[in-house]
Amino acid sequence: MRIIDVHTHPIFFGSGAKRPEVARLVARSRALGIVRMVSLGDVLFHGAHPTAAQVAELNDDNARVQSWHPDFFSSFCMLNPVLGERAVMKEVERCVTKYGFKGIKLEISNNARDACMKPVMEAARRFGLVVLQHSWSMVNLKLRRFHSDPADTAALARRHPDVKIIMAHLTGCGFRGVLEAKGCANLYIDTSGGYPEEGLVEYAAEHLGADHVLYGSDLPIRENTVTIGRILGARLSAADKQKMLYGNTARLLNLN
Amino acid sequence: MLIDTNAHLGPWPFSPLPDYTGPQLAAHLAASGIRRALVSHLGAVFLPDPTPANRRLFAAVRRTPALLPVPILNPALRTWPEQLAECRAAAPIRAVKLLPNYHNYTLTAPALDEFMAALAAAKLKLVLNVRLEDERHKYFALRMKGVPAAALGGFLRRFPSHHVLLTGLYKPDLEKLAPEHTNFSADIAFCEWTNTLEHLLKKIPANRLMLGTCTPLLSTRAETDKLVRASLPARTKALIGSENARRFFNL
Repeated sequence: MRIIDVHTHPIFFGSGAKRPEVARLVARSRALGIVRMVSLGDVLFHGAHPTAAQVAELNDDNARVQSWHPDFFSSFCMLNPVLGERAVMKEVERCVTKYGFKGIKLEISNNARDACMKPVMEAARRFGLVVLQHSWSMVNLKLRRFHSDPADTAALARRHPDVKIIMAHLTGCGFRGVLEAKGCANLYIDTSGGYPEEGLVEYAAEHLGADHVLYGSDLPIRENTVTIGRILGARLSAADKQKMLYGNTARLLNLN
Repeated sequence: MLIDTNAHLGPWPFSPLPDYTGPQLAAHLAASGIRRALVSHLGAVFLPDPTPANRRLFAAVRRTPALLPVPILNPALRTWPEQLAECRAAAPIRAVKLLPNYHNYTLTAPALDEFMAALAAAKLKLVLNVRLEDERHKYFALRMKGVPAAALGGFLRRFPSHHVLLTGLYKPDLEKLAPEHTNFSADIAFCEWTNTLEHLLKKIPANRLMLGTCTPLLSTRAETDKLVRASLPARTKALIGSENARRFFNL
């Protein structure tokens, strides 16, 4: 079985950045059937509000990892939307033209409904990039000023129907999050985040369609054996599992 | 053959989980390689008296030898000796489980002195559950956290002659408690990081870890794969997967 992991942080708070460490990660992942990993960068190394220089530094680090194993890693460009249109456009253009990044990664600099998202989505549109938005239910976490609830990410997707968006963290979004995403053809959800809570993968497949659910681990916070096992153990057809583990992301990011 | 030290029957009010019968749960666990499981009833979590749920547990596992009942007791209730006596009369039991955070008492409660003495006299093991779910995802009206590591440490110091199984510990809490306290083992259900077990084994020996899946709240396959697909020697996997549980529960 071939697998693409759409949500990983090979470098995490500075750890894992050395070439032998990356090589070990690639070897271990391949042994589990993972043929590709989307590297989202060390997104919180400089906190929730990195400067333009810090954003560029983290994207350069991410590009270095990709350059060591270009057949394995695809990278997303992390941004701080609050820095404004000029900074956003400049960094996206740099990461696409210089490194061939495949998408945009948004963390917790702002809420997905904020006005500063407009140039980000314009950049995604212009360069044909997928946007992966950190999302987590804010019902028990009162952090919505900077975090995006699944309702916020779904609102972003409805405002920009021509941009493909991945709502990160199925487990953190929960059952309500799945329902927020329902009916958005341009909105996908990744299975990363949290412990392997039972029933959510099946629920997402039922309400969003199996072709809108993407396997993601959130490595290194999570374990690939666990996150893959959660999909393999789901009460779904083998074809649906294969879509989630490989086909959907391969199609979305044009990965072969 | 795997032994699951942390499985449940019964419904959970906050998510649409499978509500297995005994044979259905045994078959579900067997599909992930689990041949025996220590099982409690989720109904005991929220009932004012766990007894009716324990009765349902004993009835459900009576004809399913793969499932070994672990009744949940509440020592904050004056009648806990009666609860314990009824459970012991219902079926041979090897252990009982406590849920301090759900049953509104702390691990400094005076009643625990007598309770622990009663367990020792009956040659019963104690399973102390720290959490059943990630606190971030609990039902919005539940204001409850896992049992704090400091409270667990105090409990382990208070009862040094008891070797306790802690279920539902987060990895950082397990790593914090393990070097300081040798009188506990832990399940791995809520421990996760890349190469979870390799990391844990730097802090706690393999003979103190046990497979626990927290079925049906967590995915059984995901939790067993954490062990089965780990890059560990077969001997280590055997200890964590079954032998430690067999020894602890005297199976």
